[in-house]
Amino acid sequence: MKTLCNVKNLSKSYPSFSLSDISFKLNAGTITGFIGRNGAGKTTTIKSILGLVHPDCGEINYFDLPFSENERKIKQRIGFSTGMVNYYPKKKIKNIVAITKTFYKNWDENTYQKNLKLFSLDENKMPCELSEGMKVKFNLLLALSHRAEILIFDEPTSGLDPFSRDELLELFIELKNRGVAVLFSTHITSDIEKCADVIMYIRKGKLITDCTKGEFCEHYCKDGETLEETILRMEKEEKV
Amino acid sequence: MRKLLKKEIKLAASPLSYIFIMFGLMAFIPGYPILVGSFFVCLGLFQSFQCAREANDITYTALLSVAKSDIVKAKYVFCIVIEFCYFVLTSIPVLVRMTLLSEIAVYRNNALMNANLVYLGFVLLILGLFNLIFVGGFFKTAYKFAKPFVIFTVVAFLVVVIGETLFHIPVLSALNAFGFTNIVLQVIVFLTGIVLFSLLTAISIHRSIKNFEQIDL
Repeated sequence: MKTLCNVKNLSKSYPSFSLSDISFKLNAGTITGFIGRNGAGKTTTIKSILGLVHPDCGEINYFDLPFSENERKIKQRIGFSTGMVNYYPKKKIKNIVAITKTFYKNWDENTYQKNLKLFSLDENKMPCELSEGMKVKFNLLLALSHRAEILIFDEPTSGLDPFSRDELLELFIELKNRGVAVLFSTHITSDIEKCADVIMYIRKGKLITDCTKGEFCEHYCKDGETLEETILRMEKEEKV
Repeated sequence: MRKLLKKEIKLAASPLSYIFIMFGLMAFIPGYPILVGSFFVCLGLFQSFQCAREANDITYTALLSVAKSDIVKAKYVFCIVIEFCYFVLTSIPVLVRMTLLSEIAVYRNNALMNANLVYLGFVLLILGLFNLIFVGGFFKTAYKFAKPFVIFTVVAFLVVVIGETLFHIPVLSALNAFGFTNIVLQVIVFLTGIVLFSLLTAISIHRSIKNFEQIDL
């Protein structure tokens, strides 16, 4: 499988938290579920690989190109969405989209219209008029509409109703089948169970596992234990 | 950069940034401290920074297919465009007062600064200071702007007081020239203003790009 993103030895220190030596790869046609409890370092990792957080050290390459020197080119080929962030709350969605699409050579109007219907979003509404779940959908809509080869989502299922969550995970599978690499963070294990091929489990800023779902179950799950029970147990064992 | 400027105008800017350009016409008001107008246009720009912060504009822009340095440059380009519009607008009363209205008594009997090229030089200095102190200060965090704006306000009003009263010192009385009198001196001060504006803005852009690279959004 072709590696589209390669992260090596990523570290970032804050006064009360550090991300240590994170390394992983994102392969084409693979869904990677990034799991960990709140504050484990999921968002910091994702923000670091997108250049939003300045890492202390580490190498981030997309499509065999270093991110820092090829930011513009790489961002054309990746899509990103972060949970419920409220961009331009008093501007109409259609106006935000009209500006956003000018930045992407591969903006796909058909996909945009299709997802607009799928997410039941009204272009004439403003983000401040949307519920928290609909804000997540709006951010997803922007990330999904320029034929990205890598999609990175920070807690995309937070705030979504079970039906929308299911639809979104189905969409991830559809994108994966088209060769897109998907990375999504979550603290909902059932999302991982449903669609992830690879599980990255982070705890206190350290990547504990980065393996296929099958390998994870083989190495960590006890007999009759579900994925959720395994991860809960691993968290509890660490506390003890 | 054109796309980013369009994004600034359509999504991030406050309408006050455009409306406050009109303060350039304050240079027509007789007996008024006309340099204050250049502070008002900066206040309009400050409103855009406030709007942009509330709308998570910096984070949104960082996710578009642009480099981090482009985000900084786009904010400066937007400020420079507004400042240029203000400068052009305030140049109209200056030219009118230097030519058609140069002998009008109400402008002649003025205890404060006269509208001439020296005034335009001071306007450019204030705008350059805004770029250096406020915009540069904002990009140290890409979030906090109160402190840089307070510092800019204090510095800007010092410059206004100096500019409006300097000519009362007998050896500097030539600065308050009417029409085209002392034109060489007027041009020298004006050119100094252009140089200072360019220098302060260039230093600020350079520092801001460097600072913004290190910021965690």
